[in-house]
Amino acid sequence: MLRNKLVAAATLAAAALVTRHAYADFEMHYPVIDYREAELEHNGSTSVDNRSNLNNNQSYTVELGYGVTPWWEPEIEFDLGAAPGQNWTYSATTFENTFQLTPQGEYWADLGFFAEYSHAASRIDADQMTFGPLVQKEWNNPFGSGVDTLHTLNLLISKQVGRNRNDATPVQLSWQSRLRLNAFFEPGIEYYGNFNNIADRFTETDPTHRAGPVVVGAYNMYQYGKVKYELGYLFGLNNATERGTVRWRLEYEKSF
Amino acid sequence: MLKRSLLGLLLAATLAVPIAAHAADPNFTLTIKDRKFDAAELDVPANVKFTVTVKNDDKVPSEFESGDLNREQVVVGGGTITVFLGPLTPGSYEFFDDFNPTARGHIVAK
Repeated sequence: MLRNKLVAAATLAAAALVTRHAYADFEMHYPVIDYREAELEHNGSTSVDNRSNLNNNQSYTVELGYGVTPWWEPEIEFDLGAAPGQNWTYSATTFENTFQLTPQGEYWADLGFFAEYSHAASRIDADQMTFGPLVQKEWNNPFGSGVDTLHTLNLLISKQVGRNRNDATPVQLSWQSRLRLNAFFEPGIEYYGNFNNIADRFTETDPTHRAGPVVVGAYNMYQYGKVKYELGYLFGLNNATERGTVRWRLEYEKSF
Repeated sequence: MLKRSLLGLLLAATLAVPIAAHAADPNFTLTIKDRKFDAAELDVPANVKFTVTVKNDDKVPSEFESGDLNREQVVVGGGTITVFLGPLTPGSYEFFDDFNPTARGHIVAK
């Protein structure tokens, strides 16, 4: 079973190396699959800064996914965005795959693998592949605090492919830790680091670092499905980054 | 060079799946029959890892779900799943069948 998962994940990762597309994407990916559940998900973010070239940078996605097997969830994603001072444009159509590599809770941490292919809507942009490991750790009652915690790490590497590609290797490092107070309200903190080209010297505009509070929750309506949300505010941690970014996720899921 | 090293590191991290299973962890069994759990309360030891085997004796699928335990696993009709849990602090943790939410129970860690 694990071998099948690794082969499938490796195949998509290999496809990624042959393909491309790059923009800031503030979305935490979790390595646990909701088998037989259909998802309709919206992610969005908008930046806040007194510099006009960094203010009101918007990104929106709508995603449809389904847990086909206990270890594989494919999603189709529609990406829209608006650079500061510009109108919205449809930027890409993305085929996303999440693989759950280990049963939840069996090992020290839960391991998954993420692979997506993003087809740019504009002819002047290149397609892009993004892939990398997803790690999640449940840490119950740390230091006798009486509160359970959940920690998630994403390390995603991107490569552009096809027409108009460049040779850069963007890397996004994302981390989230939250307190599992109850299912409706789980406060936490998160960090997003974007490196436009990990193999190159850092510049005034690269990398960007953002960190801030987040609230995550879910409301179960049982036979009518479940609503999940995430709402966070990310503070820019260096001069290359906008002063703040609001990010959100709203998801409806239902089992079939 | 750096790119290759990074890709190698990524691949190694992905393949470095721990292979040691927790064979010694205590195991408990829950059976779903006629769309109900056979035990409304399951006592487990606190502060240790354990597994719960969920057997579905019905022909329709069920989903073992618990917000308290952060678990959500489908068990097909006639199928069996293993749910890996703990260590839990002493207390009561509710679970239910998400496909039939009237079927409910508690895991009590003592």
